[in-house]
Amino acid sequence: MANNFFLAQPAVLPLVAGAAEPWPETATLYQPLKEDQILLSDCASSLAVQAYLRMCGLPVQVAYRANAEYMSPSGKIPFIHVGNQVVSELGPIVQFTKAKGHSLSDGLDDIQRAEMKAYMELVNNMLLTAELYIQWCDDATAAEISRPRYSSPYSWPLSNILAYQKQWEVRRKMNAIGWGGKTLEQVYEDVSQCCQALSQRLGTQPFFFNKQPTELDALVFGHLFTILTTRLTSTELAERIKSYSNLLMENNLSV
Amino acid sequence: MGTVHAKSLDPLPMHGRDLGVNPDDLVEPPEMEHEAKQEILENKDVVVQHVNIQGLGRTKEDLLGYEISDVFHAKNLIDVMKKAHVARQKLLRLGIFKEVEVLIDTSDGTDALPNGLDVTFEVTEIKRLTGSYNTMVGNNEGSMVLGLKLPNMLGRAEKLTFQFSYGTKETSYGLSFFKPQPGHFERNLTLNMYKVTGQFPWSSLKETDRGMSAEVNFPLGMTNHTLKWEGVWRELGCLARSASFAVREESGHSLKSALSHTVSVDSRNSAIFPNRGALLRINQVSVVLLLVTDLLKELIFNTEPVLSASLWGGMLYPLGGQPSCIADRFYLGGPTSVRGFGMYSIGPQSEGDYLGGEAYWAGGLHLYTPLPFRPGKGGFGDLFRTHFFLNAGNLCNLNYGDGPRAHLQKLAECIRWSYGAGIVLRLGNIARLELNYCVPMGVQSGDRYTVFL
Repeated sequence: MANNFFLAQPAVLPLVAGAAEPWPETATLYQPLKEDQILLSDCASSLAVQAYLRMCGLPVQVAYRANAEYMSPSGKIPFIHVGNQVVSELGPIVQFTKAKGHSLSDGLDDIQRAEMKAYMELVNNMLLTAELYIQWCDDATAAEISRPRYSSPYSWPLSNILAYQKQWEVRRKMNAIGWGGKTLEQVYEDVSQCCQALSQRLGTQPFFFNKQPTELDALVFGHLFTILTTRLTSTELAERIKSYSNLLMENNLSV
Repeated sequence: MGTVHAKSLDPLPMHGRDLGVNPDDLVEPPEMEHEAKQEILENKDVVVQHVNIQGLGRTKEDLLGYEISDVFHAKNLIDVMKKAHVARQKLLRLGIFKEVEVLIDTSDGTDALPNGLDVTFEVTEIKRLTGSYNTMVGNNEGSMVLGLKLPNMLGRAEKLTFQFSYGTKETSYGLSFFKPQPGHFERNLTLNMYKVTGQFPWSSLKETDRGMSAEVNFPLGMTNHTLKWEGVWRELGCLARSASFAVREESGHSLKSALSHTVSVDSRNSAIFPNRGALLRINQVSVVLLLVTDLLKELIFNTEPVLSASLWGGMLYPLGGQPSCIADRFYLGGPTSVRGFGMYSIGPQSEGDYLGGEAYWAGGLHLYTPLPFRPGKGGFGDLFRTHFFLNAGNLCNLNYGDGPRAHLQKLAECIRWSYGAGIVLRLGNIARLELNYCVPMGVQSGDRYTVFL
């Protein structure tokens, strides 16, 4: 699941044109319906973006749409509508705000910036992928939670068609990156290792880098908060995370 | 090789006068030009004793009985010829025979009457499977279209058609089953299953429909009715990255179940260059959430040159308070409705994408005359006409809270209209090619217009 933070994403429309305009009041973030539809992975990504924008001091309204996933130019949640521009996913959004002159990682030197990017890649490749695996590749979770929630805005038979289509798509992707053969236990182990690495980097500091929160903090917050507050078929995932207390403390501070 | 034998409907033998005509003359379908013969023939009473159909393979006999039964009622020879001709037309319209030939002969055999006639229809059935292959190129896309048709599949004029289109950008296919009611060909049922894709650059929208439909046609008096149910899984998406946000908001999947009823009265004598007649078509579609009414009325006056007036309108009413979908709304503009304006480029739009409207009306006044100085008269030149036109129309969204008076007012303000002249070429009986010079008037901000079209 190579989430390309650093390449020129097709998810971003001409940046140069929009750079000159200030951040409008009407900036809106779109995500699926909160109560009935949104799934763990999308909720985590959306929360990460909201946290990041709040840290930058940029106001954004949140709009809930059943078809948010299809409205997004890259097919991923969330996306923001700022002026004339539509930008989706955290990486391109960070670049977009940087072009407008708002950034959280300006104070970092090159080494730290590279490190930050590496950790963000880790979170995406491990945590996000694990979330997707648990949602769609674990039969119990898929049948009880993911499929009913994903298809809730649609009527039969469209609901069944779309839910199964999404499940097959995610499973194909998992097979492509080599996660298809993993068991649930192995996935939980991977999550633990990811949290271990983050915990070690954090140590006793309040934030990952310097005394300022960066986009890495927003990303980690988004994922951990969502995992802890989302009901799944088993509490195993939440339990694994709870054992890394310094990560939890850091999140409380940055809320 | 099967044959159909039918007995005469009249059991009592009729004693008529001797025909006085050499039986050999009756072997070919007699021509009507010989006056003297015609006089004699008209006055003779005849009885049609047998009607045979030869050349049947898979066609079931009971189907054809209805079409040929009228021939038995003929009372004299001219009548027999007329009714046989009508029966031949009826057999051909079933679409299951390549050729039908009629033979009228005096009857022979043990029960032959002196004035008895045998009518024989010699038919050639269409092949069981026909295929077609076309390539189409257009709009930056090439595609290969494969068609398969099974006419007269089960012997009662059913037809199964399969079409598959494989293109550089999109793939579509459709399966269709047609079944007429035996004896009443105009009452028929069609079942469809399809996947089609469409691209609409004027709205920066692309649409993929996967669905099925069932349609029943029946005539009622002078009118033709069509009742159709359609269930579609509709997927909308943006055609380009630069699509407006209003169109982006409509992206996604939806399910549409629609029941529609169409009434039409068509007395034009040609679909492309009619000389006289009128067409009235009213279409009502009721979807779970929408009510759509579409009306097309066209009048042609029998003059040479031909004057044609047409009026059409439609209204979309969303039930249940939800907004209407962009794929259901009406579009207006272009060479088929209001000439002088870009294709479907009238009405509400956002950042250059046309969103369609919930109510519209359009009208046209056309005058067709043969080309001046009539070049190529009697041949190629007859396919052309000069064409003067006046088109008008309006497309907007109505605020259903206001009364009908406010609606009429809204439709009457900001009318777009255009006038002009050009040349029209008829292609077969299916299409026409126009080249016009138009003067668009009443252009509102946001509409797109052209002068040559």
